[in-house]
Amino acid sequence: MMSAPKENFLKADVFKAGYLPGLRDDEVRWKHLQLGAPNNALTVAVPELSTEQFKNLASRIRLASRTHLKSWPVSDIVRTLDTAIARLLNANDPYRQALEHLLPRATGFDAAMVRLGLNSYLQTFRALQLQRFITEDFANPKLLDEFQPRPKGGWSKAIGPELLVHVWAGNVPALPLWSFVSGLLVKAGAIGKISSAEPIFASLFARLLAEVEPRWADCFAVVWWQGGDDVLERCVFAEAEVVLAYGGNTALRSMQDRMPVTTRFLSHGHKLSFGMVSNAALSVLRGQATARAAALDVARWDQQGCYSPQVFYVQRGGQVQPLEFAQLMASELAALTAKFARRTLTLEEAASVASWRKQHEFESLRQIGHQVLGDAAQAFTVAYADTPQTLLPGPLNRCVLVVALNSLQDVMPLIEPQRAYLQTVGLAAAPEELLALGDALGQAGVTRICALGAMTSPEAGWHHDGRFSLLDLVRMVDIDPSAELAAERFTGYEL
Amino acid sequence: MATAEKVPLNLIEVILAQGSCLTELSRSVSCSEHVLVSQQPPLPIKMARDMAQDTANSSSTSEDITRELLAFIARPSVSDEEFNELALRIFARQFMLNLPFQRFCQLRGKTPRLVKSWRDIPAVPIDAFKEFTLSCLPAEDCERVFMTSGTTRGEVKGRHHHPNLAVYDASMLRHFSEHFMQGDARLPMGILFPTETLMQNSSLAHYLGLAMQDFGSADSAYYLDQNGLRTDALCEALRKAEQSGQAFALLGASYSFVHLMDELQVRGLSFALPKGSRILDTGGFKGQSRDIPMDAFYAQLSATFGVDRRQCINMYGMTELSTQFYDAGNRSVPSVKRGPHWLRSRLLDPLTGQEVAHGERGILAHTDLANVNSVVTILTEDVGVATDDGFVLLGRAQGAQAKGCSLAVEDFLKAARG
Repeated sequence: MMSAPKENFLKADVFKAGYLPGLRDDEVRWKHLQLGAPNNALTVAVPELSTEQFKNLASRIRLASRTHLKSWPVSDIVRTLDTAIARLLNANDPYRQALEHLLPRATGFDAAMVRLGLNSYLQTFRALQLQRFITEDFANPKLLDEFQPRPKGGWSKAIGPELLVHVWAGNVPALPLWSFVSGLLVKAGAIGKISSAEPIFASLFARLLAEVEPRWADCFAVVWWQGGDDVLERCVFAEAEVVLAYGGNTALRSMQDRMPVTTRFLSHGHKLSFGMVSNAALSVLRGQATARAAALDVARWDQQGCYSPQVFYVQRGGQVQPLEFAQLMASELAALTAKFARRTLTLEEAASVASWRKQHEFESLRQIGHQVLGDAAQAFTVAYADTPQTLLPGPLNRCVLVVALNSLQDVMPLIEPQRAYLQTVGLAAAPEELLALGDALGQAGVTRICALGAMTSPEAGWHHDGRFSLLDLVRMVDIDPSAELAAERFTGYEL
Repeated sequence: MATAEKVPLNLIEVILAQGSCLTELSRSVSCSEHVLVSQQPPLPIKMARDMAQDTANSSSTSEDITRELLAFIARPSVSDEEFNELALRIFARQFMLNLPFQRFCQLRGKTPRLVKSWRDIPAVPIDAFKEFTLSCLPAEDCERVFMTSGTTRGEVKGRHHHPNLAVYDASMLRHFSEHFMQGDARLPMGILFPTETLMQNSSLAHYLGLAMQDFGSADSAYYLDQNGLRTDALCEALRKAEQSGQAFALLGASYSFVHLMDELQVRGLSFALPKGSRILDTGGFKGQSRDIPMDAFYAQLSATFGVDRRQCINMYGMTELSTQFYDAGNRSVPSVKRGPHWLRSRLLDPLTGQEVAHGERGILAHTDLANVNSVVTILTEDVGVATDDGFVLLGRAQGAQAKGCSLAVEDFLKAARG
C-alpha cells in the first residue's frame, strides 16, 4: 500500500493531478501544464471534465457523503483527519515524500522553506487543534451530530452542505487544506478546483484520505477547469449548495456573475497585510530579534500569502531608529536568502520588482531620507521612507517598505484608503499598547493581529478575513418549541 | 547609522547660475552610504565645481556634439569602436550637465570614469521622463518638448526636451528613407493623424509631418483632423491612386487604421492600390480602438487596401527616443524590428540590468546616440527577444499577477481602475 504512490509520484515524468472517483483516466481529457522554473519544470496533467461528467460526479459525491459523512460523529471525522495529517508529518511517508518532491518543483519555492512551512502548517490540523477549531465556531460540537436542546426551548442542528464547491488559490503551497478540512468537519461532500499554480497538495491529500478511510473514497473530488469557463462554471455552481472561493477580485466577480441566487457564495479576495513596530520593541537588546521576526514574515512564501506583510510602520524614538530597523531587516533578509533562496522570478515578476525599486530610487533622488537598501541583484529589497506613506501593495517577492512614524496611532489614516483589503497586522508592541492599537486597527478594517514572525502561520480556528470558517458553511435547522409542544399532544399513550 | 549628507547649497547655486535646468533638485540633494550601490561616494566638491564650470560652455559643446552626431548619422556605417567612443562622450556630457541623471548614475555606481563600454551606461527607465527633467540644456531653452500620451499613468506625461530638431530630423529622414521610401524620392501620402499644429507636443505628429514634407508629393494630405477621419476625401484619393496606377503611401497611428477599416467595412468599401503602395502603422492600439491581434490587423490592412503584407510596415518608436525602428513588412508576425547604426538595442534582465542569453525574453533597452540632449540609454517597459539583426517585440511587461489572494501592485492598480 505504501510503496505504490511513491512509485507513481516520484518517478513519473508527468504528475497527474486531480482525484476523480468513479472516473477512469482514459475516460477523461487531460491537459498538460508546465509549472515551475524553466530549468526544472514539472509537467502536470490536469483533468478537463465535461459538464456531464461534473453532474455525475456531483450526484455520486452527494450520495456518498450522505452515507459516509453525514452519519458520522464529528469526533470520528477528526480522528480520521488526524491519521492523515500524522502521515503527512512523517518524513518517511510516501505522500509526504511526494509533497516534498513535487511542491518545490511546481511552485519554485525553496525546498527547505516548503519542508519547514508544511510542518508548522500541518501541526495546526492535528486532532487537538481540530477539536479547538470546531469549538471556536460551535461551543457545543454535538450540534454537528444531532439535534441539541436550546436553552430557550426547541432544538437545533447544524447541517453542512450536500455539495460544497471549493475554488482554491495557488499562491501558497497546501493552501487548500484549510477549506478542505473545514468542509469535512461539517460533513459536506466536496468538489475542489485546484489552481494551475499549485495543483499538487489537494490532489495528493484527497488520495491519502481515500487510502486512510476507504469509505470516504466517493465523498469528494479534486478537479480542474480553466477559470472563467462560462458553461462549466454555471454548471458546477448550480450543483453546489455553497461555493467557497479564493482568488483575485476580478476572478471572484466573474464567479459571482455565474452564481445562482440560491447558492451561498463565500469569497476570499485580495488582501493586504502589514507590520507595526512600537519603540517598546526597539531597544538595543530587542531590536535585532524584532527585525529577524519581521524578515521571516517577509521571506516566508516570498510574500505570496494574503497574510504576508508589504509595509512596516516603525515608531521613532526607540534606541533602534526606524532607519536602523530597516537596515537590520535588510541584513536579516540577506541572511534568510542564504537559508531560503527566493523563487526564480518570471520576467513579468522581475519587471514588477524592478519598477517598484525604480519608483523608490526616484523618490530617493527627490527626497532626503528616502532610501533603497539592498542591491538589485540581491533577492530582496528594503525601501525606507522618512515621511508617512499610505499603505500600498508592493511587488511581493521579498520587497518591503519601512516607514518611520512618530506614533503608531499615525498608522490609522495611512491604512484608511485600503479598508476593504486589510487583513493581518504583525504587531510588536508593549502590553499596554496592544488593546488600544487592536481596537483602532479593528475599526480600520483589520481582521487579524498577531506577533511578528507569526504572520504567515494563522492559528487553527482563526477567523479568516474576519469570518467563521465552519459556521459560514452550515445551515442551522431549528425545531421550534411549538413543534415540540405540539408533538406532546400527539403521544400514542394517554396522559 | 546613515545620515543624509547634503550637497552644499553653493554648488547647487553654481550649477543653477550656469544654466543647469534641474530645479527639482535645487533645494538639496540627499546622498547616503546606504543607497543601492554604496561604493560610489558623492562627487568631491572640487570635481563637481569643475564640472559645473564646464556647463558655462554647454551651448558651444552642444553645437559641437550636434555637428559631430549629424556627421555620424550621415555616414554609411560605423565600427563598434566608433559607436562606443561617441556613446561614451555623449554619456559623459549628459552626466556632467544633467543633475538628476548624474544622481541616478551615482545611485547605480556608474560614472564616466568607470564606464568603459556603451553597454555600461545606466539605462534610464522611461518613467524618469515623467519624474525628472532630463535635459542637458535648460528646459526653457529647448525649442521643442515632445510629450508621451500618458496612457499608462493617467495624467503624468513624460517630457523629452529637444534643444532643436536638427538631430531628430536627420535621424528620422535617413532611416525613414531607407526603410519606407525604398528608393522612391516622393510618393503621394495620406496621413491618418492630426497635423503638428494640432498636436504640438506629439513626436508622432512631427514625425509624420516631416515624412510628408520631405517625401510626400504635392497631392499628399492629412485625413484626420479635429472632426475625425475624413473618410470621403480619403476614399477619393485612394480611388484616384487606383485609377492612375501611382503607388500610394498611407501612414498613421495603428488605432487610426482600425477606425478607418471599421468605417470602410460599414460602407462595404475596399481598395486595390497600385503596386508599390505601402502602409506605415505605429503605436499599437493604446485603448484607443478595439484591440485586435496583430495577425488579423495586417490581414485586414492588406485586404482592405490591396497592399501586400510585405509592404505593411510597422514603425516602433517612442517619445523617449529620437530614432525609430522599422520592420521589413508584416508577412508574418511578430516581425523583426531594426534600428540604424546610431542606435543599438539590448535585452536586459530588469532586476540585474544584465543582458539575457540570446533568444531569451528580456526588457528592451536602447542606446540612441540621437538622444544627445536627454539620456543616451533608456530602459523601456517592452518585452522582446533578440534576433540576429534586430529584435522581436512581444508586448509590454504586464507586471505579474499574483496567483491568489495576495494583493500585488498590478492587481491593485487594475482593481483601482475598476
